[in-house]
Amino acid sequence: MQAISFLLIEDDLIETMKFKRVLDGLDAKHTISLAENGEEALTLLKSNKDLPNVILLDLNMPKMNGIEFLTLLKNDTVLKYIPTIILSTSNNRKDILECYNIGIAGYIMKPLKYGEYKTKIENLVAYWSSNEFIKV
Amino acid sequence: MTRINPEILQRALLREKAARKQAEKILEDKSKELYLITEQLRKANKKLQSGLTEKTTELQGVFDNLVDAYVLMNLKGDIINLNEAAKELFGYDVSEEKINVIQLIYKDDFEYAINSFKLLISKGFFSDYIARVNTKNKGIRWVHINASIIKNSNQKPIGAQGIVKDITNQRAIEAQNKKLLHDLEKSNEELGEYAHIVSHDLKSPLRSINALINWLREDYESVLDDSGLKNISLIEQTLEKMEHLINGILNYSSINNTDLKNTDVDINSVLQDIINTIYIPNHITVTSLQRLPTVKGDKTRIQQLFQNIISNAVNYIDKETGTVSVSFQENQSHYIFEIKDNGIGIEKEHFDKIFKIFQSLGNNKNSTGIGLSIVKKIVEAYEGEIWLKSEPKVGTSFFFSLKK
Repeated sequence: MQAISFLLIEDDLIETMKFKRVLDGLDAKHTISLAENGEEALTLLKSNKDLPNVILLDLNMPKMNGIEFLTLLKNDTVLKYIPTIILSTSNNRKDILECYNIGIAGYIMKPLKYGEYKTKIENLVAYWSSNEFIKV
Repeated sequence: MTRINPEILQRALLREKAARKQAEKILEDKSKELYLITEQLRKANKKLQSGLTEKTTELQGVFDNLVDAYVLMNLKGDIINLNEAAKELFGYDVSEEKINVIQLIYKDDFEYAINSFKLLISKGFFSDYIARVNTKNKGIRWVHINASIIKNSNQKPIGAQGIVKDITNQRAIEAQNKKLLHDLEKSNEELGEYAHIVSHDLKSPLRSINALINWLREDYESVLDDSGLKNISLIEQTLEKMEHLINGILNYSSINNTDLKNTDVDINSVLQDIINTIYIPNHITVTSLQRLPTVKGDKTRIQQLFQNIISNAVNYIDKETGTVSVSFQENQSHYIFEIKDNGIGIEKEHFDKIFKIFQSLGNNKNSTGIGLSIVKKIVEAYEGEIWLKSEPKVGTSFFFSLKK
């Protein structure tokens, strides 16, 4: 299993803590960088030579929302190769459709129960650990 | 000298006399004939005259009494005559002042008016001309005009007539209605969006609490006693209930008449889906008493409708053997379904209350008090009604109608 570098774009402190806690409980040493909103994430991505392997994106954020960020990301010649997975509370058909249309690698509903959340994130990490990534 | 023979003279005279008499006779006959014809002509003329007067009076009556304004003009656009309604609308009297239609046209509609006039001349008529006119006393009015050319007996155009309807008020009302409808659509849409956003914002702290409470248990399990652990699981249950409520509100607010799809929905397969989806304890059976119909509707909503009633029925059964049965009747316009159970029954005084949002009668932990209000909203969206018959301790029958 390879270690993955994640970028988590999330404005809710507890959600961030949840993700960190699940990752900390795993054997492999995955790394996380954090951004609280789309603008911050873009600045981070543009300045950083070390791009993350996978982006996890919350749809409901203040200022630039998830879909706006996703659109900018997928229009960037370099950044568009980073697989992006949505973490959302909304199973609104319109949102899901739009996300897949712009280009996402997955859409995960945030469950109420922490136990379910843990299972979902562990599965996600296991899946992406077996994937090949591309750097351009 | 030649003597004239008197006999010859005599004969000539006689011939002449006879000829004259004959001529006189012919003349007399002709005069008689002429007199008769003249008499006939006079009579016919008189008859025609009175017929014409009659028709003219009749037309004049129609002209005067037309509810719509009627305008008669020559080919130059000079107005020749206005009926009462037209005088009232335009405020002019052509017997007192000379008016040309050009004067009546509102300046911004001039080009449109000229084009319509050209159409009138080339085609002989125009219809559904809608524009503004200047009036003497009523300011600028919106009018609808149908017009046609008038020709003489030789098919030569001599003028034009127009029927003018004042549509100012009608247009104002239409515009108002349009605006109202637009506002309503917008506020409905906003309300839907609002419910969505609020629901998600409400759920987010619930998820956080759930995670925090789990960490408390994970991290401090060794120091917590039974009562502490029990309280933690009570917090979890409360959170779940809260989530149910929020989902219910979201569901309720997303039922709109506007987004109901109309496809064929087979109630038999809907019922089967429900039996496979919801939890039904072994001592309860859910069955249909007959082959159920196929209705027109949105599958998700129809399923939600049946599922909410059926799971309610299942939840409130207190007998050793529980039965929930579905049957239907139909009339010309509606299907009427009956869902009957042998559960605890409902007191009559609660019949209205149970359809109101957040009104739950039992202490069932899965009950949010939204289920039946959703049911009612769906039934109403399909132009139906819902009612019930119930006997406490014996059972309840829910009836609802769905428009065919």
